[in-house]
Amino acid sequence: MNINEMTVLICDDSMFARKKLSMTMSSFGVKAVFEAADGEEAVAKYKENLPDVVFMDIIMPKVTGIDALKMIVDEYPDAKVIMASSVGTQGHLKEALKAGAVDFLQKPISDADAEKVIQNVAKGVL
Amino acid sequence: MFAQFFGGYLFNHKLCSAEDLTQAFEAKKYTRLRLGVLAINAGLMTAEQVEHVNITQQSVDKRFGDLAVELGYVTEEDVEKLLSQQPTDYLLLGQTLVNNGALTNAEFEKAINDYKSENQLSDDDISENQNETLNKLIKEFYHFDSAVDAKINTEFVTLLFKNIIRFIGDDFTPLEASVVKNYKAENLIIQHINGTYSATACIGAYRDAYIGFAARFAKEDFTEIDDFVHATVGEFLNVNDGLFIVNESNERGVELSLTPQELSESAEIFFDDTAFCIPVVFPFGQVDFIISNH
Repeated sequence: MNINEMTVLICDDSMFARKKLSMTMSSFGVKAVFEAADGEEAVAKYKENLPDVVFMDIIMPKVTGIDALKMIVDEYPDAKVIMASSVGTQGHLKEALKAGAVDFLQKPISDADAEKVIQNVAKGVL
Repeated sequence: MFAQFFGGYLFNHKLCSAEDLTQAFEAKKYTRLRLGVLAINAGLMTAEQVEHVNITQQSVDKRFGDLAVELGYVTEEDVEKLLSQQPTDYLLLGQTLVNNGALTNAEFEKAINDYKSENQLSDDDISENQNETLNKLIKEFYHFDSAVDAKINTEFVTLLFKNIIRFIGDDFTPLEASVVKNYKAENLIIQHINGTYSATACIGAYRDAYIGFAARFAKEDFTEIDDFVHATVGEFLNVNDGLFIVNESNERGVELSLTPQELSESAEIFFDDTAFCIPVVFPFGQVDFIISNH
């Protein structure tokens, strides 16, 4: 898949985190970026847009990132969900991977880390 | 980080003002370290001897090192060794304060010797920036022995200052902490840490400092406080607290979780137990960091 055909969903309750990552994605030339501010909205936006890759925060109001991940993967087993969280403990990492996440990024997310993820999705590695 | 805490020490001992320090942190990037300050720091010359060389230099066209050797204060080997040293931040700060007239050489000599002695710091400790030494320095500076869990506070605050340097900048002066039961601020971000133990971390500031802090973190210009500015300061706290609980999990096997940040304007928070309010002065104003564990 070409990066310029890729669609991305960013799920984070922090407006700042969403904007920063969204700007980074745009600078890579992705086709479209969608945003969700909580886990509930994340699931709805996923169903609505079926993005190629999802960046999911863990600590979010209403529905947590882990629960949103489970709901998405339950219905769409091939979903490419990358957890992007400030709480990258071994416990959270294991829980996320067990629930179906394909990768885990510790916040703050560097441009290099974000680019690696996008390239891996493009190559079909993730 | 020793430069910032040395600055805090100078301020707390009323040796210079917050304004002197703010100017010095801005100017120190252009400061060239002089041999006299290096020699005082190394204990090779007294401030009086440095002044003598400085005065002699006014009538003799010779370099400081050559004159200091001629006058018998140091050897040529001493000069070579001093010149080969990498400039350290706290010495650049000291040199800038001396250059700006905020400190005399004698005041600098007394302050640096007292600071090292009170904190039992050697030059190696300072130059290597070791975590253990930083923890010791921070624990002493903030008198964390009186806290419910001094170790948690020390680890948290050490990480906080590392993140301030990483994401905001190194031009700040930490002021003495106060123990509080409640905290009121014009702009306040709160995040709770739950699990094996509970803690609360907050950031509070008045308008200009709050905007300045957010602008540094976002690397953007802000003129008004809006939801995005709140979210930016909130994300700094979230990243800091997240890294703290990762460290606690990796190093001590302590499992903790975070609550979403609460953003408030003109708000007050009450603590069940002791909370430490840690004011930090930046060029754009004072930002308070509050940590309470219970």
